[in-house]
Amino acid sequence: MFQPLVEHFVQWCYYSKDYAFIRDSKYGIPIVQSLHLTGITLLLGTVVILNLRLLGLGFRRLPLPLLSEQLWPWMKRGLLLTVCAGILVFLPDPTRYAHSGPFRLKMVLLCLALLFQFTVFRKTVRADVESRLRNTLVASISLVLWFGVGWSGRAIAFFQ
Amino acid sequence: MSVLPLLNWLQNTGWATALKESALVFPFIEGSHILALSFSVGMVMMLDLRLLRVSFRSQPVALMMEQLMPWTMSGFGIMLLTGFLLFATQAVKAWGNTFFRIKMILLILSGINALYYQLRYFPKMAEWDRAGTPLGVRAIAVLSLIFWIGVIACGRTMAYEL
Repeated sequence: MFQPLVEHFVQWCYYSKDYAFIRDSKYGIPIVQSLHLTGITLLLGTVVILNLRLLGLGFRRLPLPLLSEQLWPWMKRGLLLTVCAGILVFLPDPTRYAHSGPFRLKMVLLCLALLFQFTVFRKTVRADVESRLRNTLVASISLVLWFGVGWSGRAIAFFQ
Repeated sequence: MSVLPLLNWLQNTGWATALKESALVFPFIEGSHILALSFSVGMVMMLDLRLLRVSFRSQPVALMMEQLMPWTMSGFGIMLLTGFLLFATQAVKAWGNTFFRIKMILLILSGINALYYQLRYFPKMAEWDRAGTPLGVRAIAVLSLIFWIGVIACGRTMAYEL
């Protein structure tokens, strides 16, 4: 049931004239890829800072509630840029991605990372009382999920 | 004197050839180069945003720098090492690549920008930190953001022409 739906969507994307200009212009793909990467830098930058703080490895002189309050909006802006640019990378060339194992893994991990980020992680970085065990556990899961998204994204270029 | 013989020697060294042909190590190095952006440029962006007073306004720049710098430096350490290894695998082609050259120029400009901040504004930080950042410091922060986004864009684009 799922497969024909994906195929149909992929064909619709491919034959849609709206994104052809990205595929056909010389610098279309490099530009959207660059925006995707700039968004990732911002998004992962904030995620890394919060996780280093949760793990007690850095940023100890900045209180966690302050860090999360100041970084959260930039995390969301980075995420928005990454997702929007990512969609523009996908749409002009959907066959390349829809049939790629690493891309599918990336999407699964992305869903898990987002779900975790806006539930458990959000609650943990905003907690008034910090628990060492909880912080370590949450930071480990967050890092594995986000860098899992990153690594599987990179793997699209190298593996089927 | 041409650098081409040197680049040729570099990319034909045993380790560079092995790295280029490796199905796992090469993707690992390239992935590390890209994901270390979160430590290097990601942290620089945070400092730039503080200098522009759009985030962490309640915290002194001195404290932000002290907290960010160790991670920024280790991030750039990874970038430099992995970047050099990637360059070594196709030194001649990369050298001739326009976007690689623009990227190197932007890196140098970025370095000069940071050095100017360190020499001109860092020693007198105590005077301006609490009062609000001088116009010159804000200009440096804007330039830093432009240069680094340019570095990311050129780095990504050069791969399409190798």
